[in-house]
Amino acid sequence: MIPREGRSGRGSTRSRPDETTGAGAPAGLALAVEGLTVSVQRQDGRHVAVDDVSFEVVGGSAFGLVGESGSGKSLTLRALISLLPPPARVEGGSVFLHGRRLPPAGRQARRARRGEMAMIFQDSLSALNPVQGIGGQIAEAPQRLLGLSRRRAWDRAIELLRLVGIPDPASTAHAYPHQISGGMRQRVAIAIALSTEPSVLLCDEPTTALDVTVQAQILDLLDDLRRRLDLAIVFVSHDLAVIRQLCDETAVMYTGRLVETGPSASVLAEPIHPYTRGLLAAIVDLDDPVGAPTPIPGSLPDIERLPPGCTFHPRCFLATAECAATVPELAPAAGVAENHRSACIHRDRLVHA
Amino acid sequence: MSAAPEPVQAADLLTVEEITVRFASKAGELVAVEGASFSLRHGETLGLVGESGCGKSTLARCIAGLLPPDSGRILLHGSDVTRARARSDRRMVQIVFQDPYSSLNPRLSVRSTLKELLAVHGLARGAAAERRCRELMALVGLPAGALDGYPNAFSGGQRQRIAVARALAVEPEVIVADEPTSALDVSVQATILALFESLRSQLGLGIVMISHNLAAIRHLCDRIAVMYLGRIVELGDRSEIFGDPRHPYTLALLAASPRIRQAAGGARVRLSGEPPSPARKPSGCHFHPRCPRAEDRCSIESPLLAVASDSHALVACHFRDERHTG
Repeated sequence: MIPREGRSGRGSTRSRPDETTGAGAPAGLALAVEGLTVSVQRQDGRHVAVDDVSFEVVGGSAFGLVGESGSGKSLTLRALISLLPPPARVEGGSVFLHGRRLPPAGRQARRARRGEMAMIFQDSLSALNPVQGIGGQIAEAPQRLLGLSRRRAWDRAIELLRLVGIPDPASTAHAYPHQISGGMRQRVAIAIALSTEPSVLLCDEPTTALDVTVQAQILDLLDDLRRRLDLAIVFVSHDLAVIRQLCDETAVMYTGRLVETGPSASVLAEPIHPYTRGLLAAIVDLDDPVGAPTPIPGSLPDIERLPPGCTFHPRCFLATAECAATVPELAPAAGVAENHRSACIHRDRLVHA
Repeated sequence: MSAAPEPVQAADLLTVEEITVRFASKAGELVAVEGASFSLRHGETLGLVGESGCGKSTLARCIAGLLPPDSGRILLHGSDVTRARARSDRRMVQIVFQDPYSSLNPRLSVRSTLKELLAVHGLARGAAAERRCRELMALVGLPAGALDGYPNAFSGGQRQRIAVARALAVEPEVIVADEPTSALDVSVQATILALFESLRSQLGLGIVMISHNLAAIRHLCDRIAVMYLGRIVELGDRSEIFGDPRHPYTLALLAASPRIRQAAGGARVRLSGEPPSPARKPSGCHFHPRCPRAEDRCSIESPLLAVASDSHALVACHFRDERHTG
């Protein structure tokens, strides 16, 4: 691929001191999110849908964001790339790309992210233009954003198709989206996302619509690409097993809040938040056919009527009176991995329990 | 190519014999299901697994009487219902679909939906119908008050329970469930799986469960049929399919399923490519172009679905007697 230094203009803005975070982001930290808050307009006013979310992703690693529908995981992704649908709005927080603070919203925000952050979606067919050849769709951004000539942009499209594992890229570049399979279309969507050499790739359930053998191939591809291109991946899914397979770190989201974060191996093997524990108990484990899944009692509350304190407390087996009174902070617990944190005041009772 | 159909036994509730379904498409004739055979007993759950285009949903529609097969027979209690089903036979097999949002009439309350069915089939009217409605709500784990609600007032999991109540209203003996948990949230799927489990044990229903989720299939099903491009390639008990899989495609499906207890990057066998279109099936064994075990004969000769050695499972592979460890 074209080396990162070879890009025009924009690269230099990274080191402008006035835009650099005072905290001094460590080298290799591709993406840092601090206190991201998003509200959604409903009939009776605005409600918080993403509440004070913070996390960091190092280049070459994958960060998994897991939650049920309505947990705010997709809104978080869209806020990161400044593509929030109109009823939603960023209320606060900062997004840093390689230590550089990005404008939160509007045209400026999109310009600052253009080419640096890319996103792939669940439905690859609707993400592609049905009346344009796939080679042209991949070549478009390098031509417009990187200033490549038509010829070079086309060569680059073919190179990208090869990178994402499309057989016979030179002739496939002339095909239209409907002529290739679902897995191939998702590969093309990844090629488009990578066409401007972004350092951050946001993935919104990219394998959910795919068959299981094809899902495995796409996960392998993302795993390979992040290492080779030093990509920081943020991967949103409702599927804990998929997250476990790809992501180094996992954050569990409930009603717009991160309730548990840490290394995937630790979070998904020894969870110290009752919600994560509930999710794991609710799924059927292919390797444990005997254990009966246990559903979490109750249902996900609507953001218009969130319970006070810890929003999970009405469904929680550990809840005490204090849980309804205070919003718990993400904090570490003794006896688990150092950076494994849980937003539960009873977290210590769940260690090795 | 096909196997000898299992002899019809008295205990068999549902027998599917050599079902073939063809569709006309622009690309020519498409054989969606090729000679599928299996049987189902009372209180038994059979899982149909496979990827998109393998024919599992088409087969489900045949069983439910929604689609006549081009050849083959479907027997209920030993009597042939392939061509025409009397109303009483239609009642016997009911289907529950994946999407509870589109399979319920939004303009009818739950009570109206159920009472209409009870009246049409002449099962209950008036006070008896009301009693039966409440009984059905209890069976699917909903409060009697839910009868007054309209579908949009319920969550996905509750709607799926209503869809199950509607299927149960006509007192079926077989329920065909087509991906009944796929559209539901993770924390709700378990409750629907538990519901099917209780229907099987409480009512002794025979269940045909279609899913791409191998974990759910392993949890719920006594026997499993694995399909690839219209053919059943392996059919066996749960312990055989998951403990001693013989068909390379079954092995590949198991290897591709993401596991919660397994980190990334382990040595995994990956299939290359994707299932080809059912309109352009490869010759011989349809799986041979993707099969790591394939030899020359596989592209010429279709393997029979036959019993493998040291096993009761039926396997459609020339190398069915080879055991795979791990």
